[in-house]
Amino acid sequence: MPSVIEAKKVQFKYTRTLVLDKVSFNVQAGDYVGIIGPNGGGKTTLLKLILGLEKGAGEIKLFGTPVAQFSDWQKIGYLAQKSPVSQSRFPISVQEVVLMGLCFDKEHKEATPENLRAVRRALSQTHTLNLSKRIFSDLSVGQQQRVLLARALVSEPKLLILDEPSAALDGSSREMFFALLGELNKKNGVTILLITHDTGEVGKYISKFMYIDRELVFFGDKEEFCHSQKVAEKLGAFAQHTIDHLHNHGHCPLGCSCVHTVEQEEAAHD
Amino acid sequence: MISEFLSYGFVQRGLLAGSLVAVICALLGVFLVLKRLSLIGDGLSHVCLTGVALGLLTQTSPLYMSVPVVLVASLGILQIMEKIKIYGDAAIGIVSAAGLAVGILLTALAGGFNADLFGFLFGSILTVGRGEVLWCAVLLAALLLFLLFYYRDLIAASFDESFARTRGIAVRRLNATLIIFTSLAIVLACKVVGIFLISALIIVPPVTALLFAKTFKQVLWLSCVQAVVSVWVGVYLSFLFNIPSGATIILVNLVFLVAAFIYSRMGRSYAQGERKNAR
Repeated sequence: MPSVIEAKKVQFKYTRTLVLDKVSFNVQAGDYVGIIGPNGGGKTTLLKLILGLEKGAGEIKLFGTPVAQFSDWQKIGYLAQKSPVSQSRFPISVQEVVLMGLCFDKEHKEATPENLRAVRRALSQTHTLNLSKRIFSDLSVGQQQRVLLARALVSEPKLLILDEPSAALDGSSREMFFALLGELNKKNGVTILLITHDTGEVGKYISKFMYIDRELVFFGDKEEFCHSQKVAEKLGAFAQHTIDHLHNHGHCPLGCSCVHTVEQEEAAHD
Repeated sequence: MISEFLSYGFVQRGLLAGSLVAVICALLGVFLVLKRLSLIGDGLSHVCLTGVALGLLTQTSPLYMSVPVVLVASLGILQIMEKIKIYGDAAIGIVSAAGLAVGILLTALAGGFNADLFGFLFGSILTVGRGEVLWCAVLLAALLLFLLFYYRDLIAASFDESFARTRGIAVRRLNATLIIFTSLAIVLACKVVGIFLISALIIVPPVTALLFAKTFKQVLWLSCVQAVVSVWVGVYLSFLFNIPSGATIILVNLVFLVAAFIYSRMGRSYAQGERKNAR
């Protein structure tokens, strides 16, 4: 079975600045990958390259097909960091916005009963069904982001690509948001690629970490990430000290199972 | 008085061409305003001056000469935006300045300003010929067909270009087609309202409709109705008071905009008051 995403020696230059350099990795079906790294490290650019929104050197395949030839877009859901119309009035309803997620061929563009059922299901998943008749641009930024997640989910994608989606959400919405993504990954086997700075909150759901800082510093299981020497060097002494300190007190900031509390160890001895 | 006004052949042609151009500009304007490309009308109309001046210099039809010039400029704007990756308004500004500078130079070479050039600069709707009316009708028919086939794609691309591309929508091709239509509309509109005022015909009706329309279709309808009514009222007022028609059309449009703004503010205040009373 081909990988969901296969990247080989991906390189991207913006004017003369090298943004990504020889990044290679494979994302398998069912993976939940958290992408982290410093600002300007190339995380968003990588997602854009995967989605074909930017063109760079190297090779990226989606479900075994080179991205330039890929046409099976209903398999992919995408949610960007910012709402496209947060400042201006755009007179379309929430329902119409979510319907756009099905806008990949002629028959799916129309508001047929079947398509509207899919829209309602996606809105229910993100707890926004009560907003379906409202004008999208009249909603708060947090509500808009939840509707846009519904748009990403409406085609029942096999791969979800999310670029810092929780930045505009309040605490409880963020919790609901990550729990929903966790459920989609565990129950429906949806592969997720998520850029986040919020490793604490999302850490318990993620299975793999990718650390990007122009090059691929780390890609692997969550447990290995905490002990990676390369990551420790990149994160710097203070961050590493914090991770070590929390580990010593029985809490992994990433929610991994690599630490045991004193009680657990005593119980194991008994 | 009105029946006498409507009995003249040149008035009928002017109103027909004006209405057709107004609908074309309003429909295009809705998408351009929402894509934040509304100033493209302003930029390309300045380039139109180059085409008109070239026509006057070579003693060929200024309108036919303007078509290729404005088309090349519009594709130039797209290329600058995509390849050099500068902001759309800056790309439009560059092409607009170039168009105006070349136009002024050619005008000087053609012997300076004359009545023909003034007609294009400030509009002369009552001198529109049958051929131009026909071209307006053909362009509107082509635009309606384009909107019919790509309506949902255009909305998706105007709302969120990146997401539309991840749905497999050919956003670049749609943008290019939209801008080509705009170029042709500008060439035809410069005789109706004049080079200096075309952009208002593209921007003002959609902005007015966006103030209170609830659906996208309402925006399209209201923009078209406002644009056509302003052409009729503007031409009639210019006939009545012997004032320039292009400027009058735009001022009528602006009256609609101010009225819509006041109406939408009053509506909002009323709704807020109702909510307070309900509490």
